Amino acid sequence: MVVVPKTRKEMPVTTLSVPTIGSAGKTGFWRDFRPVMVELVSPCTYDCPANNRLPQIFEKIRDGKLEEAAKIFLETNPFPSITGRICPHFCEEHCNRSEYDEAVSIRSIERFLGDYILERKGEAGFHEISTEKGKKIGIIGSGPAGLSAAYYLRKMGYNVTIFESEEKPGGMLTYGIPPYRLPKQIVEKEVAALTKMGIEIKSGKTVGEDIKFEDVQKEFDAVLLAIGAWKERDIGISGEQLMMSGLEFLGEVNKGLMEPPGMDVAVIGGGNVSVDVARTLKRLKAKPSILYRRTEKEMPAISEEVTKAKEDGIEFHFLTQPVDASKKNGKIVLKCIRMRLGELDASGRRRPIPIEGSQFTLEFDAVIKAIGEGPDTTWIPKKFLNEGGWMKVDSATGVVGENLFAAGDLISGPATVVEAIAAGRRTARSINQYLRGEEIRPEVPLEKPVKIEGINIEYYEPKERAKASELPPEERTKSLDKEETSGISLEKVQDEAHRCFSCGYCRACDICWIFCPDGSVDLENGGKPEFDYDYCKGCGICSNECPCGVIIMEREEE
Amino acid sequence: MAQTVIDTANHIAAYAAKAARVQVVAAYPITPQTSIVERIAELVESGEFDAEYIRVESEHSAMAACMGAAATGVRTFTATASHGLVLMHEPLHWASGSRFPIVMPVVNRALGPGWNIWADYNDSMSQRDTGWIQFYCADNQEVFDTIIQAYKLCENERVLLPAMICLEAFILSHTYLPVKIPDQEKIDEFLPPYKPKWFLDVNNPLSHANIVSPEWYMEFRYMMQEAMENAKQLIPEIDKEYGKYFGFEHGGLIDKYECEDADLILLTMGTIGSEAKITVDNLRKEGLKVGSARVRVFRPFPKEEIRKLAENTQMFAIIDRGISFGMEGFLAEETKSSLCNQKDQPLIAGFIAGLGGRDVTFKTIEKIARKSAEWMRRGRVEKETVWVDLRK
Amino acid sequence: MQSTKFMESIKELSKEEYLLRGHIACAGCGPAIGLRLLFKALGNKIILVVPACCSSVIPGPYPYTSLAVPVQNIIFEATGATASGVVAALRKKGVNDVTVVGWAGDGGTFDIGIQALSGAAERGTNFIYVCYDNEAYGNTGVQRSGATPYGAWTTTTPTGKKERKKDMPFIMAAHRIPYIATACPSYPLDFVKKLRKAKAIKGTKFIHLLAPCPTGWRYDTSKTVEIGRLAVQTGLWALFEIEYGRFKLNPPSDQLIDKEKRRPIKEYLSLQGRFRKLTDDDIEKKQKWLDEDWERYHKLASNNASDLALCEEI
Repeated sequence: MVVVPKTRKEMPVTTLSVPTIGSAGKTGFWRDFRPVMVELVSPCTYDCPANNRLPQIFEKIRDGKLEEAAKIFLETNPFPSITGRICPHFCEEHCNRSEYDEAVSIRSIERFLGDYILERKGEAGFHEISTEKGKKIGIIGSGPAGLSAAYYLRKMGYNVTIFESEEKPGGMLTYGIPPYRLPKQIVEKEVAALTKMGIEIKSGKTVGEDIKFEDVQKEFDAVLLAIGAWKERDIGISGEQLMMSGLEFLGEVNKGLMEPPGMDVAVIGGGNVSVDVARTLKRLKAKPSILYRRTEKEMPAISEEVTKAKEDGIEFHFLTQPVDASKKNGKIVLKCIRMRLGELDASGRRRPIPIEGSQFTLEFDAVIKAIGEGPDTTWIPKKFLNEGGWMKVDSATGVVGENLFAAGDLISGPATVVEAIAAGRRTARSINQYLRGEEIRPEVPLEKPVKIEGINIEYYEPKERAKASELPPEERTKSLDKEETSGISLEKVQDEAHRCFSCGYCRACDICWIFCPDGSVDLENGGKPEFDYDYCKGCGICSNECPCGVIIMEREEE
Repeated sequence: MAQTVIDTANHIAAYAAKAARVQVVAAYPITPQTSIVERIAELVESGEFDAEYIRVESEHSAMAACMGAAATGVRTFTATASHGLVLMHEPLHWASGSRFPIVMPVVNRALGPGWNIWADYNDSMSQRDTGWIQFYCADNQEVFDTIIQAYKLCENERVLLPAMICLEAFILSHTYLPVKIPDQEKIDEFLPPYKPKWFLDVNNPLSHANIVSPEWYMEFRYMMQEAMENAKQLIPEIDKEYGKYFGFEHGGLIDKYECEDADLILLTMGTIGSEAKITVDNLRKEGLKVGSARVRVFRPFPKEEIRKLAENTQMFAIIDRGISFGMEGFLAEETKSSLCNQKDQPLIAGFIAGLGGRDVTFKTIEKIARKSAEWMRRGRVEKETVWVDLRK
Repeated sequence: MQSTKFMESIKELSKEEYLLRGHIACAGCGPAIGLRLLFKALGNKIILVVPACCSSVIPGPYPYTSLAVPVQNIIFEATGATASGVVAALRKKGVNDVTVVGWAGDGGTFDIGIQALSGAAERGTNFIYVCYDNEAYGNTGVQRSGATPYGAWTTTTPTGKKERKKDMPFIMAAHRIPYIATACPSYPLDFVKKLRKAKAIKGTKFIHLLAPCPTGWRYDTSKTVEIGRLAVQTGLWALFEIEYGRFKLNPPSDQLIDKEKRRPIKEYLSLQGRFRKLTDDDIEKKQKWLDEDWERYHKLASNNASDLALCEEI
């Protein structure tokens, strides 16, 4: 090796140069901007009520590390096997990939991972439980909010007891959602796993009847009310007593009822309960019709379910408002009025306005109403209620007062399962803060998500999203409990994970490294870039090329 | 067994390359050099000469290819003439600056226009500042011997410069003369294989000829000058050593003949030097104390030996087969420059003769000597530079 | 757009660097990316011959260099010849596991060095010649070269070049060498693959690398890869190979024979200051020439190279 010379005598006779890092000194000072790697919020995480960290989960799937993927999932949602089946997948709604070709099949991945978890839930070490805290928490209601809170509180090391007035735990999961959407054994397995974690579930115990509410409050260090919203609202018309409640009907079916209340059945309402009722009726060989006062566009039900209902052959009467119900010759005669849509109302939908003189009548064997549900708070001490009979609660933290907390449909009104799960988790967090004597602070809201403009889509090739196979209508309507949507294979799950843009989350793709003209990107940190600011000239190629939008250029201080 | 062959200097140059066990030849044909590359091609293709022969597409590329080969650490050879040499001007600098010990016969030929293929030194003289060592030969034996000597010199760590072996077009290049070619074994002993100190080596990845800033450049030029000085010292030593090995010496830096007591010394180069010896013999018979000094090595220029000659003589008559336009003959120029600041300088007369292949015989030289003797007697040189046999 | 396999394949490339940090290429230098890729493809058992060009400056001055492979810097026009000398010497020394690479700019290839390159190619010199083409004399401050495209501003074409770019790969094709390819650093795996293929073939291999230059082309330094990608996506730079005389378009260019699939050339031109003075007529002209080129590519791709000087596998 030639020694780098200092004097003439040390110089070789010709210009031999020695390979050296920084041959002309450090080039970092050329830079006006420096690349910095950041972690930003993806639209899917942002839109998911539980804020599931999907890009992080998909990274693990791409790496073939399913267990690690599952663990990240469980940090925000303990029941992906359930949400992976029935969630309206808000996450897919603004998936940046949908602006390129199609959204990533996030829910299908979730279902796959949920089932993966479910198979292993019994395994030791899957759910690590923190040091026992020696404090007791009572949860009233075993629906998704209650179960979710129980899971997180138990993981934190609390003793958790759930009171459930029904025979089986699960609430809406067990008694509301029909089995063709959510097989009951899934719920049973999830519940069994919770019991295995040491959560006690007292079924058939109605607080306020079997046990005094005050006693529960006294016995437990903290009490969570998660009783849901089961009370059907009234339409406010005469003859309403002739109608069944939609949730009650679903409850009966889930308990074993196999007979429809009649052949021609009207289902009033445009929400999920209404659609579930109608589709269940169809499977009981009835001929259901949905009556809704607005149009399909305004239906609050999951649009996928509406589409399926139509495929199932369910008749829809839009812009139809019943104004009177009466019984005649064993039939229920519904007097209806035709509606038109007016200005936007508070919900952002166009208000239905009756068209004068447009009355008409319809005849049914039975009528089921499902126009909205509210919580039954009649048994709760008045001091916790407001004038409308709703809980006095800080919805961000679930704090009610004293040692009482509330979560789920009880405070939000009827919402999705994932919202209840998220509420359960957030309230568990509040309870923990409360029991530790800390200030109870809500979760910090997420920053706005990354838009597609921040993603370099050049590194993705168009690829159809993996579609879960669906039973055809003629097949699926034959059975009430045959699951109509199936899962996707591991291979497809991995394909989908690869389709994911990983918005705002470094996917360790090495693209910044390969294109750095200065070779100043290090990947020693798990393949994620670290920049050598001694030599990086700040050209910004890494930032421009990043397929996840996680490298930003920050101006150097003078 | 040494053998004597009768052949042209060009063929002899090819044999010398073979005898030197040159590993890579890169050359482009040009009259009157062609018979060198032709003979090499024959020798290589017949398997007698185990070298890689690159038939390049220009002299520029010939030198560039030689540099690539030399940089990779092998003994390298090329040959050219005239316009070819001039086209090489740029790589000549790069080769010497890179300290590649390339050896290159230059068959001296006039530069155009118009086309002239005959002997003239202006081609190699105009390359004198390229950092190449320049030998000028007087006969075919010297061509052979100097090529062998040159490799020994150029590959010496104290030198590491390339060398031109200049020989005049046709007068030598195409003239058959007897040459003694020594035993290959003895040549191998005299000239061992080339072992470069550095070369392009994947195990020692250095960059050659990188950018050199002003803070380093001068030192490299200084070291080239040092190398030239070293060469000046080594050339006579190697010539003597060669003589001991093979029986031929060529006078080191200057081939002197009857100079010891000469009042007038004919200072020449190449074959004019051979003719001058006849002139000396003839004029000595007339009692004129004339000597001949043939400058064999023009770069490095034998300044000290010139001064020594000057000490004991009254006059130099300098004959140049070339002209530095706007000044005078090259040898005259360098001689005068060598004597600057010396006491008791001899008279100096410059003669331009034999350009573009015009004959310079012993008779021409006699004419020059007589004229010079006349000026010597008068103690005054009437004309600093005389163009010999120039049309009126 | 590149295959999603792209990201996985990048991971397989060596993490060894032989263009060391601290070299003095301009920020966002396309040729510097090219050099890094060259080493990714060929490793360090190579000898580089580098003429006067940006790459003779990039490594930094004596007594240091950023190039951690043996390098012979050589005069501007001599790459092909000097590489010939290196190749001959290696053969003479019996070294057969070292690849000789000429790494020259467009000036040193299209213009001053074309003779030496042509000679080396005609002699079948066993080496890879990479012309990294930034379409001007970049090192000397952006003067036009034979590679500068029509309409481009340079310091010696202040109102835009009035002549078209030489079709260098086809000049090389006329030499009947066994392998010719075009590449662009924006498609690193394509370039790496071609270099590796070239290494395995005996004879002269010519790879023409379009190497965007933010300094000379007048665009933001962050856009180097994007510009290269646009050059390919617009069809202005076609990725192809001529292997033993057979012409083949490579992805994604192989999908661009249908004119509709090529992005409008304006997308490429408008990002670069050097094309700022192009008139609509100029653009139309360029479009017409481009379409003609693609007709030729189409013909060659489907005719199995009947129009090319055929090089037979020896």
